[in-house]
Amino acid sequence: MAGYLFKRTFFAFATFLVVVSAVFFLLRAAPGGPFDGERRLPPDIEANLQAAYHLDEPLAQQYARYLGNLAQGDLGPSFRQKDFSVSELIALGLPTSVLLGLSALAIAVLVGTGVGIAASLSPGSGMDRSLMALNNVSIAVPTIVTAPALVLLFAVILTWLPAGGSGSLQHFVLPAIALALPYAAAVARLIRGAMIEAAAETHVLTARAKGLSQARIIRRHMLPIAAVPLISFLGPTAAGLLTGSVVVEQIFDLPGIGRYFVQGALARDYTLVMGVVVVYSSAILSFNLLVDLAYGWLDPRIRAA
Amino acid sequence: MKRSPALLVRKLTCVCAIVLGVSSMTSPSFADTQTKSSVLRLANAGEPETLDPHRYNLRLEETLLNDLFMGLTTFDARGNIVPGAAKSWSTSSDGLTWTFKLRTDLKWSDGQSLTADDFVFAFQRLQNPDTAASLAYFMDMLDNAPAVNRGDLPLEALGVRADGPHTLILTLSRPYPYLLERLLYPTAYPVPRHSIERHGDAWVKAANWVSNGAYTLREWQPQAHVALLANPHFIEPVAIQEVYYHPVVNEQSAYNRFRNKELHVIGSFPVGELGHARERLADSLRLSDLLSMMYLVFNTSTPPFDKLPVRQALSMAIDQRILTDQVLRSGNKPAFSFAPALLEGYEPVQLPHTDIAYAERLATARQLLADAGYSKAAPLRLELRHVSGIDGKKVNLAIAGMWQQLGVQTVLQQADLRNHFAQLRQGNFQVAWAGWVGENNPEHYLTLLQSDIGSVNYGRFEHSDYDAQLKVAQAQTSIAARNQALQIAEAIVVNAYAVVPLYSTSVRRLVDPRLQGWFENGRDIHQVRYLSWP
Repeated sequence: MAGYLFKRTFFAFATFLVVVSAVFFLLRAAPGGPFDGERRLPPDIEANLQAAYHLDEPLAQQYARYLGNLAQGDLGPSFRQKDFSVSELIALGLPTSVLLGLSALAIAVLVGTGVGIAASLSPGSGMDRSLMALNNVSIAVPTIVTAPALVLLFAVILTWLPAGGSGSLQHFVLPAIALALPYAAAVARLIRGAMIEAAAETHVLTARAKGLSQARIIRRHMLPIAAVPLISFLGPTAAGLLTGSVVVEQIFDLPGIGRYFVQGALARDYTLVMGVVVVYSSAILSFNLLVDLAYGWLDPRIRAA
Repeated sequence: MKRSPALLVRKLTCVCAIVLGVSSMTSPSFADTQTKSSVLRLANAGEPETLDPHRYNLRLEETLLNDLFMGLTTFDARGNIVPGAAKSWSTSSDGLTWTFKLRTDLKWSDGQSLTADDFVFAFQRLQNPDTAASLAYFMDMLDNAPAVNRGDLPLEALGVRADGPHTLILTLSRPYPYLLERLLYPTAYPVPRHSIERHGDAWVKAANWVSNGAYTLREWQPQAHVALLANPHFIEPVAIQEVYYHPVVNEQSAYNRFRNKELHVIGSFPVGELGHARERLADSLRLSDLLSMMYLVFNTSTPPFDKLPVRQALSMAIDQRILTDQVLRSGNKPAFSFAPALLEGYEPVQLPHTDIAYAERLATARQLLADAGYSKAAPLRLELRHVSGIDGKKVNLAIAGMWQQLGVQTVLQQADLRNHFAQLRQGNFQVAWAGWVGENNPEHYLTLLQSDIGSVNYGRFEHSDYDAQLKVAQAQTSIAARNQALQIAEAIVVNAYAVVPLYSTSVRRLVDPRLQGWFENGRDIHQVRYLSWP
């Protein structure tokens, strides 16, 4: 197990380095720099700025400097948000992204499980078909369409909820729903399949023959089996919800790190984009590593391979 | 069998209701802020990059800095220049020495008194190479400014000094009659020496904040809001006590949030909603012209755009009125001169073909191209670069269509704003869309085509008579004489077809109709200190 643990961790770390390096060089290859704007910069002034941010050094030296600082946990100053360091910005934005991701995850699991169970009760019935049709729509229609539709209905027409911005929990309701919808649909599909399979299990048939109530059978005998594929689905989903908030944060003006990512990329804020990439890739790699380790724990065949 | 789904649905409904209920109990309703009479919520075009007046670079930062600081001169509610920290000023006869008398009641927001020394410190800090101020050149008319900024001369060599606590003397290296206008920009604002020396770069943090404007910084939550509080030590009391600037990048979101009464003022909204706004929000809608110039620039360093007839033909085939009235349809004004028609005290020189009928212009343009050797068999092919976005695409497609009538084949190339202007500065284009927003000063626009101005002369236009005439203008000490000389210069550039003026842009705002003291103006400047709720 120790060897397996070491191997997995080593590969996760190597992947992290590759991602960080690739983004570092890709960013600098993109045309336009952090100090290009609509206004002109005289050469002397541009030289002052380049020197202040070490952009006048050779690329290799900048790369070494970045990795050195990163090893010490220093993500550097933001090129565009000059009054903040990247670490400060991420510390301010991460809670918003995490709260949004967690609420979406909760909605996806609760609603998805509920819909999945409801659909599985009588497979092929009108209820099952309509729920699954709704499900397909949720998966197929992208967030960029559902989010504005939710705003139009709940904020502009009904005026129940704010259309955007932050400051209260209400501001998270529409974004979390918009973000959760496709994942909820995926969970529903997963649970429905697993529940239908579980219904055919002999111990479930026994429970039914014993005359237990439907609710009890579902809760005690079917859900625990159906939840197994859901748990393996949660790792990538949690990562997906954290990083997938980029679009939702843009549409709802939520101050999370996904928005920094987009604004930073447009402004060629090298350090800010790198900082978000560091957070995102560590999150995704950690989730994957956890899932890998859990598999290894559960199934000795994977450990040996 | 039938019980369970219903039960589940009921349970889920309960959970949702609880979540919604709890969230509305624990947090103040978003609409509550609407009812407070001393709070103002405004949308800003994006996230400020800094609130340090010497490091700022964007118009959306100017908006905030205008509320936080006050320079020697400032704006009134209608955007006119009025005395600010200075109560009066005088100029020497050669236009090189400006003496400003400061108000004697000036204080920083922490109660410390503000003197001429603070201004001296600020002007020196702007030019200090360590500050790395990208807009340091805004004040390069000050004596020795470029040399100080390069680090060749000490800060003390800069043409600024205090004569007692309430007199500031600026010495210029050349006459600059627009100085009062230039002093409106944050680059000329005072900064608190005592706070900067104590906190270093962290002086801009809300906890350390000290400024001299109508407001001080209370909190800056990036991507959420910048919150300002009324400054108790400002020269006069203000009605609005709390101001929130929300960065709203998405225009549709701004529009929805205004309709939902979450924002009192928004700076822009999608053109597509203009009809809806005219119908439903007529009392909130404010359309105004912005002092600006959107134009096409020819790269005169690459053939065939080094040839006057080619540029002239392409320019003549463009109908500015169609672009504004039929393509953009959002209140933009067609432009026929390189200096905007909105400039005060300056009569711009129009393109020679402005009053000729369009059909006749097309005929002349075709002839010009034929004479230059282009035909159906060998058409002129060119690449037109523009900034991505719906408006950019529409305008440039329309232009390509107008050129098609001459047999010109146009390939459109689009890029995001930053990339676009980076390409333009490198001269990496044939024909490109460009824009310039700014001062009430024709020189601000006309120097863009000066041959030694640098990369901002995107098309590398070179005309010795034009350069010479600009030098003549820059030697004049009075604005009237200077503008007269600039007119002669503009005539040269208009006849050389270096650029095609297209239109001046307009601002589509929505302003809560109850807000008092809001007046449209060409600079689109609205300081909160002049606003109030009934």
